[in-house]
Amino acid sequence: MKRRGFLAASGALTVSFLAGCGSLPVIPKRPKPNAADALSWIRFENTRYTLFVPRVEMGQNIATALKQIAGDELGVDWALLDVKLHDTRSIGRVRATVGSESIKDFAVPLAQACATLRDALARRERTGNLTVIERPFSELRAFAPRTRYVGQRTDIEQSMAIVRGLPLYASDVRRESMLYGRVLRAPVSPELVSRPVTWNSEAAKKLPGFVAIVEHVLLQQGASLGLGIVASTPGALDRIEAALAIKWHTEGTFSQQTIDAGIDVDRRISGGALSHHVINNAIEPPTQWDVDLRIDVPLAAHAPIEPRAAVAEMDQTGALHMWVGSQDVFYQRDVIAKRLSIAIEKVIVHGQRVGGAFGGKTICTVELEAAVLATQIKRAVKVQWTRAQEFGFAFHRPPSSHRIRANVVDGKIDQWWHSFVSSHILFTNAVLPQWIQRFTDYIGDDGVARGATLAYNARKKRTEFDLQRVPVFTGPWRGLGAGPNLLAIESAIDECARAAKIDPVTFRINNVSDARLARAVAKVAEASRKQPMARASDARFKRGRGVACGIYKSMSYAAVIAEVETEVTSGKTRLVKLWCSHDCGKIVNPDQVRAQCEGNIVWGIGMVFSDRLPIENSHVAARTFLDAPIPKMSDMPALEILLIDEGEPPTGAGETVIVAAAGAIANAIREATGVRINRFPLDPQLLRA
Amino acid sequence: MELRINEQMHRIDQEWKAESLLFFMREALGLCGAKYGCGVGLCGACTVLVDGEATRSCMTPVASMIGKAITTIEGLSKPDARLHPVQQAWLDESVAQCGYCQSGQIMATVALLRKTPNPSDADITQALDGQLCRCGTYDRIRRAVRRASEATR
Repeated sequence: MKRRGFLAASGALTVSFLAGCGSLPVIPKRPKPNAADALSWIRFENTRYTLFVPRVEMGQNIATALKQIAGDELGVDWALLDVKLHDTRSIGRVRATVGSESIKDFAVPLAQACATLRDALARRERTGNLTVIERPFSELRAFAPRTRYVGQRTDIEQSMAIVRGLPLYASDVRRESMLYGRVLRAPVSPELVSRPVTWNSEAAKKLPGFVAIVEHVLLQQGASLGLGIVASTPGALDRIEAALAIKWHTEGTFSQQTIDAGIDVDRRISGGALSHHVINNAIEPPTQWDVDLRIDVPLAAHAPIEPRAAVAEMDQTGALHMWVGSQDVFYQRDVIAKRLSIAIEKVIVHGQRVGGAFGGKTICTVELEAAVLATQIKRAVKVQWTRAQEFGFAFHRPPSSHRIRANVVDGKIDQWWHSFVSSHILFTNAVLPQWIQRFTDYIGDDGVARGATLAYNARKKRTEFDLQRVPVFTGPWRGLGAGPNLLAIESAIDECARAAKIDPVTFRINNVSDARLARAVAKVAEASRKQPMARASDARFKRGRGVACGIYKSMSYAAVIAEVETEVTSGKTRLVKLWCSHDCGKIVNPDQVRAQCEGNIVWGIGMVFSDRLPIENSHVAARTFLDAPIPKMSDMPALEILLIDEGEPPTGAGETVIVAAAGAIANAIREATGVRINRFPLDPQLLRA
Repeated sequence: MELRINEQMHRIDQEWKAESLLFFMREALGLCGAKYGCGVGLCGACTVLVDGEATRSCMTPVASMIGKAITTIEGLSKPDARLHPVQQAWLDESVAQCGYCQSGQIMATVALLRKTPNPSDADITQALDGQLCRCGTYDRIRRAVRRASEATR
C-alpha cells in the first residue's frame, strides 16, 4: 500500500518570506504537528513499514523513541519497521528539532497516523488517500498500560552503524568528483564589518590541490564577507589559506570589557527599571535584604564534537542537493532557495545524523557556504568548519549577569526581586540585524526569559530583564536561558535557606509552588540520605552537599544533589557523587531518558568548572579545546538517577536537568567551603583557605 | 606508496601524499569511521590504531605511515561477522548519544584493553581522559570498558 497523503501534504506547502524582500532574514516556520501531517511519516510497502523520523536525530535518540511508539501503535515486529531520517521531499514540513518537544508534540500525532494505517490495512485497503480519524488518547495502543516497546529499553537506531563506523553524518557524505571548500573570514567577530582586501592568488594557484578562489556576495555571514577557496583535497585548504595571506578590512573594535559593561546588571539597575517583566509585583524594599547576590555567567560555546558540515551538489536537472547536519532541514531549504534564488522545489535537503547540536545548529551557516561554492564551481563541494571557525564564527550561549534580592520571614520567602541582563537568544544577532532587533526588543525574548519564572511562593515577586546586543553572536544553547537563570535562582534560594536557618532540602519542599517539583526534591533527598556523606579524607579536604531543583518549560521537573570535596590548599574541587531525580511524565524509553539526564549533568559540570569563551582583539580568542575546555571523563562523579513516572502525559527530557545540575554543585561548594560562587566558571583560587 | 589499513593495501595517489592519515582514509578511501573533531589532536575523535597504539590520525601525515599496520573501527569486525567485544559492549550499554566521538572512544578502548586487559577505574580514566564527548556519555563509556574487559578475559 502506498499512500498519497504525504504527497498531497507536500504539494500544499507554501513558503512566504518577510515581504519577499531579498535582504530580510528568513524566519523559521514552526507549524504545530498534527495527525494529518503525520501520515507522511509512516508508510507500508511490500510487507515492511518505513518510519520517516519527523525530527532531527542528534543523539537524543528520538528515532528510537518514535519507532517504539510506531511499533506499538501498528502492532508490528521491531524488525519489520525501517527507520529513515527525513529529507525535504520525504515528509511534509516539520519545525526545527528544538526545545525538548519531540515526544510531547509529535508522539500522539504519530500514534494517530499509525492507528489510521493499521485500521486501513486491517480493512485490506491497498490504494487511495487515507484520512486520519483522530481517536481518543485512551484508545491509542502506544500509550496503553501494557505495551511491547513503549516504556522499555530497546536497541538504539543507528547504533550498529555507529559502532561499525558506517557513514551517518553530513561530513561522511562523499559524492563523485567532490571538492573541498572553506570560506575564509577576517579574524574578528562576524558582528563587525569585515571583508578581504588583497590576497596572493599566484602563490595559492601554485599549490597542489588548488582549484579555485571564489569571490561572491553571498559568502556573507553577519557583517563578515568571506573569501571562498576550493581544493581537491581537504588538507590543501590549510596550505591555500596560508599562501593567500589575505589582508582584511575591518571596522570597529571591542574588548571583553565592552561585553562585560553592556551586560552589567548593577549598571542597568542604577539607570532605573529594566524593560521586560516576567512577573511584576511592586517590591517594598526593606531596610536590608537577607539575600543580595550577584551572579555572572559568561559567553560559552556549544562545542559539539562534530564541527558543522554540509555537502552541496547540483544535479543534471538543475536541482541543488544538500546534505546537512542541521536541527532544521526545512529551514536550510528555505534559506538556500531564497539566497540563491532557486525555486524551492529545486532545493532538496537531506537531513543526516547530527554530531551534537545543543541548539547551535539551528541557523544557516556552513550550508550556505557549501551551496555557493558548489553552484559556482559546478561540482559537489563539502565544507566542514574547522574547530577554530566553530569558536570564532558560530553563535554562543549569551553572557548574562544577575542581581537577586530576597528576604525571608518565618521560613518563607517574603519578597523576591531578580533582575538580569543578557544578550539575545531566540532573536539572535547571528540572524537579525540591529534594526530588526529594535522591533523584537518590544516583544522581549522568551529564550532569555526561559526558566526565570520563580517556582517558589513569595508574597511579592518581581523578575525583570534587559536585552543587550553584544558584539559577538549569541543564540540558543542547551536549555536557552534556563541553565544560567536557574543557576542564579538556585544559588539565591540556597542563601534564602541559610538566612532562614532551615536545611536547603526542607526549605525548598516548604516553599516550592508545584507539587511535582516538591516530589522530585523529596525523592532525590531520600536517595541521597541512604548514603551519608563520608568525612573528608583528611584535614586537607572539605566536603559538602548541595541541592538544586527546577522546572523546564512548565513541563518537566528535576532535582539534583551534589557532593563535592575541595582541597583546602589548592581550591581544587572534585565531584564525589551526584543524585538526580527526573520527571517527564510517561516515559517512552527509560534508558534514554537516563542518558539525557547524564548528558545534562555533564553540561552542569561544564557550567560550573569550565564553560567560558575568552575575547581578545575583537574576536572569540579560543581556537582549540585548550582555550575553551569541556568536561572530561576525569571530571565525572558517580551518578545515581531516579526516574519518576506516575503516568502524567509525556513531556520532554533533553534539557530538563540543566536547570538543577550546576546549581547543586555550586551549592555543594558553598556548603563545603563557605564560598558562594558569584562568577562562573569557578576560579579555584577563590576556594583556597 | 601503499598503506596497510585493516589488512588491505591501499595506494596513495599523488594528490593525497601531503594529506593527514585522517583525510586520506575518510575522503580518498571512504573509511569514515574516524572523525574530524579538532584537527590538532585534542579531542580524540580521529583515533585509530597504528601498530596497535592509539594514534590521532588528524595529526599523522599519511606519508609517515608506510610500513605500519593501521586498524580503523571498520576493521574491528567483518561486516556480517560477530562484533568485536568492545563494539558489542558499546551496544549493550547503549553508550552513544550523537555518536560522533564514539569511534575514537572505541578505538582508544581497544588499545587500552590490549595492553591492560583488566584495567582499574584509574587506568580507564587515564587512557580515555583525552577522548572528549560533549553529549556526556562518560559514565556509560566507563561501564562499557569494564564490560568489554570482562568479555575478553
